[in-house]
Amino acid sequence: MLNTDSLKPIYVQIAEWLEMEILNGNIQSDEKMYSQYQLSDMFNINPATAAKGLNILADENLLYKKRGLGMFVSSHAREAIRSKRINQNIKQLALELVAEAGRLDVDEEQLIEIIRTANLQLRKEKSQ
Amino acid sequence: MNVIVCNELTKTFGSTRAVNNLSFTLAQEGITGLIGRNGAGKTTLLKIIAGYLLPSTGSIQVFAENPFNSVKVSANMIFIDDNMAMPELMYLTDILESAGRFYANWDHKLAMGLFEYFNLQPKQYHSKLSKGMRSTFNMIVGLAARCPLTIFDEPTTGMDVAVRKDFYRALLKDFMQHPRSIILSSHLLNELNDILSDILLIKDGAKYLHLPVDELSEYAVGLQGKEDIIAEMTRITEVFYRKKLGKDSLYIAVRNQYTKEELQKARLKGLEISSVPIDDLCVYLTAKHEGGIDDVFDRN
Repeated sequence: MLNTDSLKPIYVQIAEWLEMEILNGNIQSDEKMYSQYQLSDMFNINPATAAKGLNILADENLLYKKRGLGMFVSSHAREAIRSKRINQNIKQLALELVAEAGRLDVDEEQLIEIIRTANLQLRKEKSQ
Repeated sequence: MNVIVCNELTKTFGSTRAVNNLSFTLAQEGITGLIGRNGAGKTTLLKIIAGYLLPSTGSIQVFAENPFNSVKVSANMIFIDDNMAMPELMYLTDILESAGRFYANWDHKLAMGLFEYFNLQPKQYHSKLSKGMRSTFNMIVGLAARCPLTIFDEPTTGMDVAVRKDFYRALLKDFMQHPRSIILSSHLLNELNDILSDILLIKDGAKYLHLPVDELSEYAVGLQGKEDIIAEMTRITEVFYRKKLGKDSLYIAVRNQYTKEELQKARLKGLEISSVPIDDLCVYLTAKHEGGIDDVFDRN
């Protein structure tokens, strides 16, 4: 579940996993988020690390605190995560893709063709 | 209140300085990993904390008291290692029952639950146990005692992988239900760094660093690629480890002082960037030679 070899520290991976839970609708707006102890138990990590992961989302206002009850998903969380990921992940991946293509002398036309093919392939697999 | 405060602690045995001018503070509940090479002074430090040894110079306070000859520390602390002296003529279950009388928070249900889970035999003597079984039994005593300060000195000696994993999980679960200060010395850092809250790394008896695990995981970064590009990157930072790969490539582990943008640029120039696993990092930091064991062979 967690990748200990990743450049990302565990608490960042926890934060990203929580974002995925919100993104794919497992936890809806105004629903209660996992507590630090639930996360600690699920991933076998120190509760302080789990709390740090939760706090990343809280700092970005994706979660809000209810005194004595825990953290809840903000109403705009899903949309905020989506646009953040487009801005960060997709652009990041694109940059790496272009860099690797450059090293291999793949020109822009070819690269776009490759992306189109990949897109078609995924769509076909989804529809099956 | 601080649990442990060490101030310029030194312990000498003859001409050897086992602990050398070491200061650190353990402020709150947590699971602390005490990491160091063989002979770095881990056990000596733990024994001073437990009140088994007197420091040569410097001061130590545990629960705001000098631990040596302190009833308060003895009652609230348990020290687990593989040399624990247990009565020769008592069955294991009798030992557990007697141990319960010494510790106010003793949880006998937990002790017996773990005892059965790990398939220990009730009518067995401690001295007849295998190495792994003895460590398992000692670990059960350490967990069930629920002391505000619990010290495990290399608790996993001889345990197989499955038992070690169970132990780490048992430790974490019990810690969550009953938060307390746990210090764990071990060489198997990669197995347990997820459950630790902080790491105290010692080298030659002195403190090298004491950091939350999260910060330690970002402390260093691994760079791999062409020598000249790497040379550019390492002009200002500390290099912990260096290894030549192929003709003109290098792998190095350096102090991570780069911004995201700098790393991004390096990646686009063809450098491979990776994290440095915490256990490798600790080996590099406590190594005496930059190239490790290869230095011995390269000299010839």
